[in-house]
Amino acid sequence: MSEQVLPLAAGRRAAFSWRRLFEREDVFSWTLMALPLIFLVVVLGYPFVYGIWLSLQDRPVAKAGTFVGLANFARDLDDPVFWRVAFNTFFYTGVATLLKMVGGFGLALVMNQTFPMKNLVRALMLLPFIVPTVLSTIAFMWILDPSFSVFNRVLISTGLVEPPGPSWLGNPTLAMASVIVINTWRGLPFYGITLLAGLQTIPPELYEAATIDGATAPQRFWHVTLPLMMPVVYIVTLFSVIFTFSDFQLIYVLTHGGPANATHLFATYAFDIAMGAGQFGLGASIALFILPALALLLIALARYMRSN
Amino acid sequence: MIVEGRGFVRKAMRLWVPLALFMIFTLFPFYWMVITSLKPNAELYSRKVSPLIVYHPTLKHFVDLLSETNFLLWTWNTMLVAVISTAISLIFGVMLAYPLARMKFAGGGLIAFTIAATYLVPQPLLFIPMADLINRMQLGDTLTAVILTYPTMLVPFCAWLLLGYFKTVPIELEDAARIDGATRFQTMYRIFLPLCTPGFISAGIFAFTLSQNEFLYALIFLTSTDVRTVPVGAISELIRGDVFYWGQLMAAALLGSIPVAVIYSFFVEHYVAGLTSGSVKA
Amino acid sequence: MTSAMTRRDAVKILAVAGAGSLLQARPGQAATSITMLHESSFIKAFDEYFQKKIIPAYEKAAGVKVVYEIVSVGSTLTRNTTAAETGSGPDLTLMALNWPFLFDEKLVDVSDIAEEAGKANGGWHDAAKELAVVNGKWKAVPFGNIGQLMNYRIDWFKEVGYDKFPDTWDELLEAGTKLKKKGHPFGMELGHGFGDNHGWLYPLLWSYGGAEVLPDGKTIVIDSDETARAVDFCRKFYQATMQEDVLGWTDPSNNKAWYAEQISCTNNAESILYVAKRDFPDIAQVTGQALNPQGPKGRFHILNPWAHSIFTHSQNLQASKDFLRWLMKPEIVSGWYDSAESYYAPFLHAYDNAPLWTREPRNLPYRESLATSRPLGWPGPVGRKQSESVAKYVVVDMFAQACAGKSTKDVIADAKGKLQQIYKS
Repeated sequence: MSEQVLPLAAGRRAAFSWRRLFEREDVFSWTLMALPLIFLVVVLGYPFVYGIWLSLQDRPVAKAGTFVGLANFARDLDDPVFWRVAFNTFFYTGVATLLKMVGGFGLALVMNQTFPMKNLVRALMLLPFIVPTVLSTIAFMWILDPSFSVFNRVLISTGLVEPPGPSWLGNPTLAMASVIVINTWRGLPFYGITLLAGLQTIPPELYEAATIDGATAPQRFWHVTLPLMMPVVYIVTLFSVIFTFSDFQLIYVLTHGGPANATHLFATYAFDIAMGAGQFGLGASIALFILPALALLLIALARYMRSN
Repeated sequence: MIVEGRGFVRKAMRLWVPLALFMIFTLFPFYWMVITSLKPNAELYSRKVSPLIVYHPTLKHFVDLLSETNFLLWTWNTMLVAVISTAISLIFGVMLAYPLARMKFAGGGLIAFTIAATYLVPQPLLFIPMADLINRMQLGDTLTAVILTYPTMLVPFCAWLLLGYFKTVPIELEDAARIDGATRFQTMYRIFLPLCTPGFISAGIFAFTLSQNEFLYALIFLTSTDVRTVPVGAISELIRGDVFYWGQLMAAALLGSIPVAVIYSFFVEHYVAGLTSGSVKA
Repeated sequence: MTSAMTRRDAVKILAVAGAGSLLQARPGQAATSITMLHESSFIKAFDEYFQKKIIPAYEKAAGVKVVYEIVSVGSTLTRNTTAAETGSGPDLTLMALNWPFLFDEKLVDVSDIAEEAGKANGGWHDAAKELAVVNGKWKAVPFGNIGQLMNYRIDWFKEVGYDKFPDTWDELLEAGTKLKKKGHPFGMELGHGFGDNHGWLYPLLWSYGGAEVLPDGKTIVIDSDETARAVDFCRKFYQATMQEDVLGWTDPSNNKAWYAEQISCTNNAESILYVAKRDFPDIAQVTGQALNPQGPKGRFHILNPWAHSIFTHSQNLQASKDFLRWLMKPEIVSGWYDSAESYYAPFLHAYDNAPLWTREPRNLPYRESLATSRPLGWPGPVGRKQSESVAKYVVVDMFAQACAGKSTKDVIADAKGKLQQIYKS
């Protein structure tokens, strides 16, 4: 405090007008935002323009490109694998986000109660989120192996299935289900902890008032908790969708898009085309298809956030 | 008696049963990592015994990990990188989110959208131009390279998450401070920000985790073994062709994450305590 | 108070970190230091030999320090791509598969070194040139081939009456049918791994006379009776000898299944036997290796070479060339080969009867396979289109979808559509 006041006293007239200026909402805002905005523009602006430029070229790795306009995008639309990948990505994102949202709310409501050893439990619950994805995914190579999987052993012992039992990664449908569950496993703690933080900001008086008015627990959740939590829910969902939509590591390590493209996503397919095939232009065009879908979502959310 | 019994059933339904289910779902894979890291190789592959039990536990994988690789150095690098990039991201996040949450000025909506839109730049393509930038700045193979690049994916997130929290904080306190003659900066720094600890903690946890998890930038920018982070170091040296050092990989996963979980838990505890003591509702 | 403390601490950490990382040495800066990028070998002794023997020896001999940067198998291409695109990074690098063709404009012509190495070491195998010579110039100095061959359980095959590994696909099917019934299925990758899938599926296609495209790089020939027969065989083979899980396998899966004694036959490099000898001596004793079976049109293997190249962006071109030339001298390269047993089957005739082969006679088929090894996509031209087909798993998925139950006609039509799109532009 004191070091801020001193220069003010020294140059009173000038400092006074500076201060007045700085108190204006727009000046204050832009001053504060300038540094991070410049950072983002410099470090992300160039790569972004470069990415778009790539997508308009036939550009082999380590060779000069030729401008081809929108030909890469046309080629994508004509590629059956691309459509499979698009479907996979939407399905994967939709189901995983829904599971994380419902599960995350459940987890937050449970953790918001008091019980013994809560600290320990909370630390343990965070683990899936903390373990580096590339390493936790490697554990799933064993957990989902039919000969070692607990699920298979249980199923076989009940006599419901013949050994070796379901193939979690070999069957296209089960493979998709498996990667969705793993993604949920990884993302759930973050949802839970963020929503818990939101729950904590709700004043208890509101619940008390609602209870006096005779509201049941589900009613309290629906009419008190949920509306107040909406801003947080929206933002967590926004980022969950973005990160799930562009998920890479999990798929790349576990299935690499197999069996027969059943789990390929935009990010993994784009990476394979750009890296494996050395087709930067085509790879960029696939990756850029992520843009319109997410852009719509973002616009809707940005509207919502500002309107509140 | 009847009332008590019903209370127990309700408590079980609302707390114990879901808690148990969550615990099993969350911790089973982790349990698997623990036992894998403790099993000798012969037992790991054995189908004759139950895979859920360790019959001859060994610390060999942990010893090998610590003696044959630079694991401790990788852990130090990872922590350093994660702490600094998280700090930068939180500070930048506040600088963006506070005006967007509290001030009225032209272009605010556009800025909010633009910040989130940076995520639309597909990451699998970002890394080549990013590598070009890093190279021009002569930062290749230094931790500074990733400390600078991680905030590009963390700042937008922190800004938006904080924006959401900021909106849930009542504005009356700030109005009162303004009437008492505080500057805008003082109001933000002294009155407002201390109220937002939960938001900082959850954004911080997220940013920290993303940085210590990151693989692609770390792979490309950190090439010699003594500047690597845990994921890249472990994958580069413990996956050799189609031969995986399963036990050591899992040991690395555990050693790298348990301390972090304890620290996180402490932070979460801290903000829960601060809130329930009533400071927010004052 | 506390917040001021933490703020000051944060500033301090920032300053320390910034200074620390700036002080760290950047390899490639000094003229007397060159960097070589390499994939981490599953044979630790191979990497260690390079780090502990070759590097000190060269520093002593030439006064040049060599930095050895190792990355995992999946990351080598990514690192090479970044280096080639940004014009920075390692001076020398490892090139696998057809990469010299992808990166040729960024690679130094090393014809003189390659020819000299050939002369000094008894001449190159024919297969060596296929993926190293681009437009008449050597863009890489070949090192060795990582053969993909059949690995089988000698004991279990004996139990069903096979003292030798079956010579044809049909006989192998017969053996596998019996073995699966006894609880010892085969396990060959049909998923999206990086090598063990191509390792048997391309040879299977070729041995029935099928191919993706003609050498002209224009005429798609996948839609043929030969391909159809290969696909029909593969479906039958899969159903009679394997389990569903192989459709989702990646490269470590069959190694894992081998040590778990789940499978009686797979297609893999020498790594299964090598690691078995280290960790599972009982299994090692009953692990055999054999050439791929033959089909109506012959016997084939995939060419999976390792080679070394120099990037044009290198600030130390002469030093890098000198080092590579020195590396390929008989007295140096022989020890280097030897440190990896025969995992990298030498492309140089001088080592055809070297101790690395005689020490473990079970590895001899890897030497024999060199004569029948072809690049992925053969007989089509080597290059980016072929790479695109591989990256899109066109051939692998054609077989995998047939095994999962689709009709032969559909999967071939699907593959044909993809290939037409790839080779159109």
